[in-house]
Amino acid sequence: MNAIIKNLLISAFVLALIAPPAFSAEGSILIKNGTILTVTKGVMVKGDILVINGVIKQIGENIPAPEGIKVIDASGKYVIPGLIDSHTHIALAGTNEGSEAITPEADVGEVVNADDVSILTALSGGVTMVHTMHGSANPIGGPNVVLKMKWGKPSEELIVHEALRTLKFALGENVKQSSRTITVGGPPPRYPQTRMGTNAIIRREMLKARVYMEEWGRYNKLKASKTPPKNLLPPRKDLRMEVLSDLLRGKIVARCHDYQATEALEFMGLAKEFGFKVQALEHAWEAYKIADELAAAKVGISVFADSWAYKMEAAEGIAYDAGYCAKKGVLVSINSDSGERIRRLFNEAGKSMKYGGLTENEALSLITINPAIQLGVEKIVGSLEVGKQGDIAIFNEHPMSAYTRCEMTIIEGDIYFDRAEYLKDREEAYKKAQAPKKGGRP
Amino acid sequence: MTKRMFLVCVIMGLTAGWISAQAQPAKVIAIRGAKIIPVVGDDIEGGTIIIKDGKIEAVGKDVAIPSGAEIVEAKGLCAYPGMIDGYSFLGLQEISGVSATVDNRETGRINPQVRAIEALRYDSMHIPIARSNGITAALVAPTGGLISGQSTLIKLDGWTNREMVIKSQAAMQIEFPGIRGGRGGFGGMGRGGAVTADATRLIAELKELFKNARYYQKRKEFAAKNPAAAQPEFQETLEFILPVVRGELTVMISVHSDKDIKAAIQFVKDENLKAVFFGVEQGWKVADDLKKSNIPVIISSLYDMPPVWDDGYDSLFRNPGVLNKAGVKIAFSSVSASVAKDLPYHAAKAAAFGLDKKEALKAVTIYPAEIFGVDKIMGSLEKGKAANIVLSDGDILETRTNIKKVYIDGQETDMSNRYLELLEKFKKRG
Amino acid sequence: MSISKRSCLFGLVFLILAVSGPASADVGPTYAIKNAKIVPVTGPAIDKGVLIIRNGLIEAIGPVDKVTIPEDAEVIEAEGLIAYPGLISAHTNLLLEAPRAETSQGSPEFIAPAAAPQDRPSETPELCAFKLLKPTKAAIDSFLKIGVTTVLVAPNRGIIQGQSVLLNLNGEKAEPMVLKNPVALHINFTTARGTYPSSLMGTIAFLRQSFLDADYYATRQAQYNKVLKGMKRPEYDPFLEALVPYVKEKKPVIFQCNNLEDIKRALKIIDEFKLNALISHANEAWRDVAILKKRPIPLLVTLDFRPPSSSRYVNQGEDLRKKAEAEIYPANAANLTKEGIKFALTTFGLNDGSAVLKNIQAAIKAGLSKEDALKALTVQPAQFLGLVQQLGSLEPGKIANIILTKGELFDEKTQVDKVFVDGILWKF
Repeated sequence: MNAIIKNLLISAFVLALIAPPAFSAEGSILIKNGTILTVTKGVMVKGDILVINGVIKQIGENIPAPEGIKVIDASGKYVIPGLIDSHTHIALAGTNEGSEAITPEADVGEVVNADDVSILTALSGGVTMVHTMHGSANPIGGPNVVLKMKWGKPSEELIVHEALRTLKFALGENVKQSSRTITVGGPPPRYPQTRMGTNAIIRREMLKARVYMEEWGRYNKLKASKTPPKNLLPPRKDLRMEVLSDLLRGKIVARCHDYQATEALEFMGLAKEFGFKVQALEHAWEAYKIADELAAAKVGISVFADSWAYKMEAAEGIAYDAGYCAKKGVLVSINSDSGERIRRLFNEAGKSMKYGGLTENEALSLITINPAIQLGVEKIVGSLEVGKQGDIAIFNEHPMSAYTRCEMTIIEGDIYFDRAEYLKDREEAYKKAQAPKKGGRP
Repeated sequence: MTKRMFLVCVIMGLTAGWISAQAQPAKVIAIRGAKIIPVVGDDIEGGTIIIKDGKIEAVGKDVAIPSGAEIVEAKGLCAYPGMIDGYSFLGLQEISGVSATVDNRETGRINPQVRAIEALRYDSMHIPIARSNGITAALVAPTGGLISGQSTLIKLDGWTNREMVIKSQAAMQIEFPGIRGGRGGFGGMGRGGAVTADATRLIAELKELFKNARYYQKRKEFAAKNPAAAQPEFQETLEFILPVVRGELTVMISVHSDKDIKAAIQFVKDENLKAVFFGVEQGWKVADDLKKSNIPVIISSLYDMPPVWDDGYDSLFRNPGVLNKAGVKIAFSSVSASVAKDLPYHAAKAAAFGLDKKEALKAVTIYPAEIFGVDKIMGSLEKGKAANIVLSDGDILETRTNIKKVYIDGQETDMSNRYLELLEKFKKRG
Repeated sequence: MSISKRSCLFGLVFLILAVSGPASADVGPTYAIKNAKIVPVTGPAIDKGVLIIRNGLIEAIGPVDKVTIPEDAEVIEAEGLIAYPGLISAHTNLLLEAPRAETSQGSPEFIAPAAAPQDRPSETPELCAFKLLKPTKAAIDSFLKIGVTTVLVAPNRGIIQGQSVLLNLNGEKAEPMVLKNPVALHINFTTARGTYPSSLMGTIAFLRQSFLDADYYATRQAQYNKVLKGMKRPEYDPFLEALVPYVKEKKPVIFQCNNLEDIKRALKIIDEFKLNALISHANEAWRDVAILKKRPIPLLVTLDFRPPSSSRYVNQGEDLRKKAEAEIYPANAANLTKEGIKFALTTFGLNDGSAVLKNIQAAIKAGLSKEDALKALTVQPAQFLGLVQQLGSLEPGKIANIILTKGELFDEKTQVDKVFVDGILWKF
């Protein structure tokens, strides 16, 4: 009898090991038979992805479906990492504190708007994560925030806390308010009105921040000393200076809106002068002119494919910018900076194959793993790998084809956009609209 | 002959050769071995195109190549007709935010007298960029107000603006307001419900204007027959609207909401106009009415948000397919100067959302040619048409496709452009 | 007893009598409201009762056979009428004088941009609504007609708007109306015009910096007052001076939260500075009851149901928008009641009595019971505003704010027949 029981126990134990993992209904999904473009680990022509509780548990062929899990048949379709838009202004209640030049105390993370229907627009284009930012009204704007496009969830659940803290800077025409006409008797122009003034004001604020940090350093030292002075009071806590101090301490990285080559180089010079990190330049239409400098300084760029020639500083933007810089070793991401273009991020990335000679995977990287690295979230998103979050988009054609469209967008294993459902709803709404009104004569 | 005269003759002889070389491509070109997509008719694998005197002399599988012809080996390449942009600002805009470089919008509401060709900057940096992506012709339109002016149809090659003309005055541009619903639906900031534009008042205003034009014409004719009678005072607006009223000049009406489209159809019928519609974002709602009216449609840029939420996130993408299936003639447009090169990708996006791929290609080649009445000379690779030919390494509607050569009127065009100039310059850094 | 001592005693007695002697002419008549149905709110209803008003206060309440009617009482025959406590609206902008003409953008009177958050040209924490009152009979009539006898009036401009005053609507003179002044500091999540902060995130930073600075200011002031010698005096700052009571002494602050996110933003600031706070407007409170359950806070919920323009219910097509305005948002109060979240109803945003009544009826139609509506306009606001001893129910000793209605309160056909404010019968 003992032997039988022992065998039963052993069998039960073994069965428990090989049985499919248990899971809760939320955040779990099995996608089958798709062409999987992992971005970092090659292409699987016909494969499955299993996501349990928001995390990719398995990528392979013929994965058995745990009982009750939602199964998506991706036959003939392309399964790619959820796209990451590294420069937008959506899902915010306001983007610019334009009344003054220097406003790093204004944090977009405080004004997340989870009701913005642009989130749905983003989802319809396969975008699962965005870096939503200050505009470019200020030389120093303020902190930005990284959001997952979890439509329907409360605002605090959209924030990606793993992301690097970023601080928006801006240079050039927008900051100088070049498009504004100065009227007689009207408001005086705001300093700075030149690029040299812009650099000067940034330098000024960095110097002020240094003094602020010193003040606090001296106070802390005195307070900790054996005989602190009698009327010792701390310095005034200044939210503006706190943010700049964190930048100088390396706790925040700079993301700087820039067009011209000179202003980019000079900003990088400022960063070197004060010891802060420039994570990426935004738009950087002349990056191709200084690709070597950017690569050497490990400054990334986040750019358009070809939206140029709308301002003087965008007059020398070339469609080869992204591809050329990428080939030169610069970390390049392509962004939308638009609630409309966010739906076509994959089309924009595809252009770098023609203008720049990038491969399919290199082009796809511009909107997946590259922005993930820029945002400091490459450990959790940006590619399809076991252990990363289940942020997945399914396209009916190769994402770099002009004929493709997004069929489904999944964030951490939950479906947030389903074109089939959308078409069904449209069909029903259409039928309802056609139906004869009740109460009238037939 | 004196020495001087001899010199003059030599110089003339040399320059004559140069001039004629520019003005008339006398040589014969044979493009051999390409996969030919003529657009009208079946594709031809491994075919040959013969170009002579700027025209397509022959197209086919086994076409004899005349002796002395310049042979262009095109094995592995595709040959397409050059694409035609149904509505652009090429040549009227350099830097869109710098008003000194922008000439597409005159001040005032009623400007039938202004002509886009007269402001067309033929050496705009945007033209070679579009051309090197396979676009060989474009409508260039003024915009703004109610009557914006006269658009022009140009080929994207020429040493002067006049050299580029295919149709100097292509259409009279009339614009009805768009649906201001973007803010309340997709615009992002969200503000209340949509405001559907209403063109009824504007149509009434135009009808009044046309009526006045007709009477103006009659008074002019009367005065012509009766020298003693007083001539009507010169009225510029009426003068320049007359060709439209007489049905000689096509009118392109920019119209957007379903209600306005129906009203515009009726207006065209009432006034007996030759018309084309532009925009037509809610055309899918009134596709049958459009089909019955026989008015062709230039689709506006797909790079726009749906006008109202209820239309659905993909309404602009689905629209061309729905219209095409209902039998409406459509063509695509870039509505741009700086991104005019994207014309094929609008077509491809519509194909991604239901438009038949072959129809999508037609909507950037033969259909715009038909709409502008130049289908006898362009829009497809057929004998007798202009040799506007694009050689590519793949489907020209695909993003990754590289364009190798572009011929306009049988001339191989310069593939260099602003992008390449700057790239080459900075590549020199090493 | 010596003469001097006796005279002192006489003088003392005389003094006492003089001070506490027969009241002056503003005491008003004594009333006996007879045979009305009485709804005290804090007790069972009395089918046929008597209410005695004396000296502006309720002297007695009881069934008809239990209460003696005093000799000097004017009897008000109230057969067929119902007596309720006068309703309290805990947040309004009523009776404020019209603002001066705004300086529009581009006009010569331009506000120079502030150089730092410390420059705060337009914020007015010290501004008292009391000083801005311009009572008009028309405005007062409009509210008394629907039974609202007590209103909190707050200034309505700017971010840190100023201090509110609590009024009994008993006449056109401001002083006799005042019940409490100031009541609270009012803060609105909006932006400044023509100056910093011009964005909501700027406003949030501005509020936080202001509270930080007020705390710092108070600390330095306290330090200085302790030593007085050997320390440079801190510079006087009227703005910070006005904020100190709210940061240090925890006087009440009312945050106007115009959407769900504002509620979250307010809670963050309240918790950071440990403020004694209430949340007003709150027409999207129903959207996240979990937060309000986890961290209870007094809610002053407006009857102005218009959804905020940023709401997803307003931006996904016409059908949903209409539903939001007609059904979803008016159900705010009903939803909160279902979740057991306490709230007062206010007339904030509605300056016309009939609009208020319509909205109360809409809230009832959306599921709020009449009893809960009544509570939310009587005992609950009294509790939130610290007036439980004086108002919110019909009890002896409380202020005689009483309304007599023909028909049950909030019913369509019901009319307010008589109103007593501070024990005086109002003449419409």
